[in-house]
Amino acid sequence: MPLLRHGRVSSCSRIFSDSGFGDAAASDVIVTLRSFLDDRSSTASRRDDVAVRLRPEDDPRLLANDLDAVSLIEVEFPKYTDGRGYSIAQLLRRRYGYTRELRAVGQVLRDQLSLMRRSGFDAVVFDHPDAEGVYAEAVGELSSAYQGAADDAVSIFLRRRPGASPGGLT
Amino acid sequence: MSSERPKLGPDIPKVITGWNSRTGRVIYLTADRDWSESLADASVMTGDQAQEALRFASTDQVRVSDPYFMQVTQDGRISGRETLRETIRAQGPTNHPMFGKQAGDL
Amino acid sequence: MYRYDEFDENLVRQRARQFRGQVERRLSGELPEEHFKPLRLQNGVYLQLHAYMLRVAIPYGQLDGRKLRGLADIADRYDKRYGHFTTRQNIQFNWIRLEDMPEVLDRLADVGMHAIQTSGNCIRNVTSDPFAGAAADEVEDPRPWCEIIRQWSTFHPEFSHLPRKFKIAVSGGGHDRAAIRVHDIGLDLRRNSDGEIGFEVVCGGGLGRTPHVGVTVRDWISKPELLSYLEAIMRVYNRHGRRDNKYKARIKILVNELGEATFRSLVEEEFAAQNEREKVILPLAEVDRIEAYFAPPAFDAAPAASPTLDEARRLNGDLDRWARHNLRSHKAPGYTSILVSLKPLGAAPGDATSDQMRAMADIADRFAGGDIRVAHEQDLVLTHVRLEDVPAVFAALQTAGLATANGGMITDIIACPGLDYCNLANARSISVANSIQAAFSDPDLEDMIGPLHLNISGCINACGHHHVGHIGILGVDKKGEEFYQVLFGGRADERAAIGEIAGPGLKHEDIAPALKRVVQRYLSLRSSPEETFIDALERLGQAPFREALYAAS
Repeated sequence: MPLLRHGRVSSCSRIFSDSGFGDAAASDVIVTLRSFLDDRSSTASRRDDVAVRLRPEDDPRLLANDLDAVSLIEVEFPKYTDGRGYSIAQLLRRRYGYTRELRAVGQVLRDQLSLMRRSGFDAVVFDHPDAEGVYAEAVGELSSAYQGAADDAVSIFLRRRPGASPGGLT
Repeated sequence: MSSERPKLGPDIPKVITGWNSRTGRVIYLTADRDWSESLADASVMTGDQAQEALRFASTDQVRVSDPYFMQVTQDGRISGRETLRETIRAQGPTNHPMFGKQAGDL
Repeated sequence: MYRYDEFDENLVRQRARQFRGQVERRLSGELPEEHFKPLRLQNGVYLQLHAYMLRVAIPYGQLDGRKLRGLADIADRYDKRYGHFTTRQNIQFNWIRLEDMPEVLDRLADVGMHAIQTSGNCIRNVTSDPFAGAAADEVEDPRPWCEIIRQWSTFHPEFSHLPRKFKIAVSGGGHDRAAIRVHDIGLDLRRNSDGEIGFEVVCGGGLGRTPHVGVTVRDWISKPELLSYLEAIMRVYNRHGRRDNKYKARIKILVNELGEATFRSLVEEEFAAQNEREKVILPLAEVDRIEAYFAPPAFDAAPAASPTLDEARRLNGDLDRWARHNLRSHKAPGYTSILVSLKPLGAAPGDATSDQMRAMADIADRFAGGDIRVAHEQDLVLTHVRLEDVPAVFAALQTAGLATANGGMITDIIACPGLDYCNLANARSISVANSIQAAFSDPDLEDMIGPLHLNISGCINACGHHHVGHIGILGVDKKGEEFYQVLFGGRADERAAIGEIAGPGLKHEDIAPALKRVVQRYLSLRSSPEETFIDALERLGQAPFREALYAAS
């Protein structure tokens, strides 16, 4: 299935392992949050090239102090209607300051791509014969947004009032 | 929230009904695997034949949405515990007799 | 009222194009119905018993002549010349073809309307007091904040796939006419001890299968912090709300399962954890801009009473009776608000024909500054009318068949569409409403009864708000036959309460006679003609009324 990074077909040779790092090099696998936490003190996790897959019920706060070690976080959407992954993404990007690859996997459908991008996903595993074309079309359908999110869009509230004093900060 | 229709045993006579995907109008599956707005055209089925027809119907998504079994008598009249619902579906709202199928098109 | 600027206009147009593409993909077979369904729902398109239904958003129930005429045109061109106003201040069209939907959305956009988020597991249309901006008892007009919430919640990327639907209502701080305590979030404008206006935040109310009255999560939050606080609630719900069972997925279940205190601390923790980057920034100038759209019209200086109206009432008994039931007090002397009942005898509660919509638009433009509201009671409201003009308004409403004199009375029934239209219903609602209206059609009897809210739902999902009617009726299916359970003692106001089921269900034809016995019992037991039904019920308990309900069997 095509992996898109920033809307471009790309590749990734890592394999998801639900049984921890085993003998594999950290850069070859994607581990569960549990495995990552269990192995936090070992050498594998101390590298800066660890990949973790989060389930919707996982708390991204548990990763917050170790984000330096992580170069890829996958967030699983077991069903496209399960919207917890959007909150996880926003927390990672905006609260915990994660800046490297954030990838949506699982049931990733065309009409959710724009929400994913706005929530901070810069990569998706998206199955379509014309994945790049469809991605570009889907994320371009709405050109502005009322809310700030984890993308670089400036909220309409602010665009209407450039330079105005913020009333929303306390 | 989706509505759930009662399960019908294999021996109960049934037709397959759904909605025209394009217009939303109520339709019934005919013997030659076409769809008709008239219940009189519907194919009355039981057992494996009915199951197979439902499998066909659920792949015929361009023409029909949400097909399901509707209970009828041997001669194709609406029956069973959903008689009122299916009669309203077939004929139109009871409070607006002028808006039902019996009133024809716009 | 609010008018779209280029940003609003552009987004609504882009959304219409986006949905056009989704419809095309559905009809070409590219998009299976299973995946199309949540998309169409987020744009208000249902597949109902007979046809596709389109629910059009009427944000906080606010209309003007142009919008209402636009709706009338859609009813004529794409539907069967009528529409149905709902308990969430929206309008539904019952017969629109999917292939016509994109065109209908374009036409809605032409009059500044849309169907965005009128269904689906997202933040729905924000509702409010239909008398906002006119009521004498409000602390402040809630509509600017409804509009701000509408914008903030539209296409919110984090909250578009919630565990279930999410409804927010805002009241202006006087009597609660927006039923805020039975919403997922209810906001009430109020002053804190320093006199600053902010919001009380109520959470976890809702009807449906498991009715709950909401709890106060925050006594007071300042206006600039409101949206950030709402984000905190929404995030707690999005992350922790149940997704294993759709019947337990509403926020009321989360509040209840966690307990009020734990829920509150989760929200407060999340709110406190927001950093500068996460806070919703709402420039004060932007609040001012939006508030300016809701500035009150320039009211003429007028005496508090109108001799013209008084004289007309003396001469015309129909006008007098209608004025008694359908006029509502107004903050400006010499003005009134008018409740325009959509509950004439024998019609579907909340339905209006396209001709009636146009007549309302004309009347509003001529006599009410073009300001029209939809009330959650499924009636319309003319917000600002001069008392002097009331006789002329009455005459015009009469001509249009809109002068039913039953505002707030037993025949002003809230009813969902029920089994005549709805794919989820178990029993009919409209015909039961009509049978009750017929039983109480004698004006003298209805006058004697006084205010009484009667709400009917055709299934447990409670779109007809049966839990919060003084008398509630719930249609159920028993082996293929319609039965109706009766509830007593619900209310939707600031003393919100969930009605109690009186006992076994009654047959369709037995409901109206049984309610007649209940009402006769009330008339015989009330302490004075001033004691309303709900007051008498709360004083006496439901026993005497239950006894009357089942007296025939």
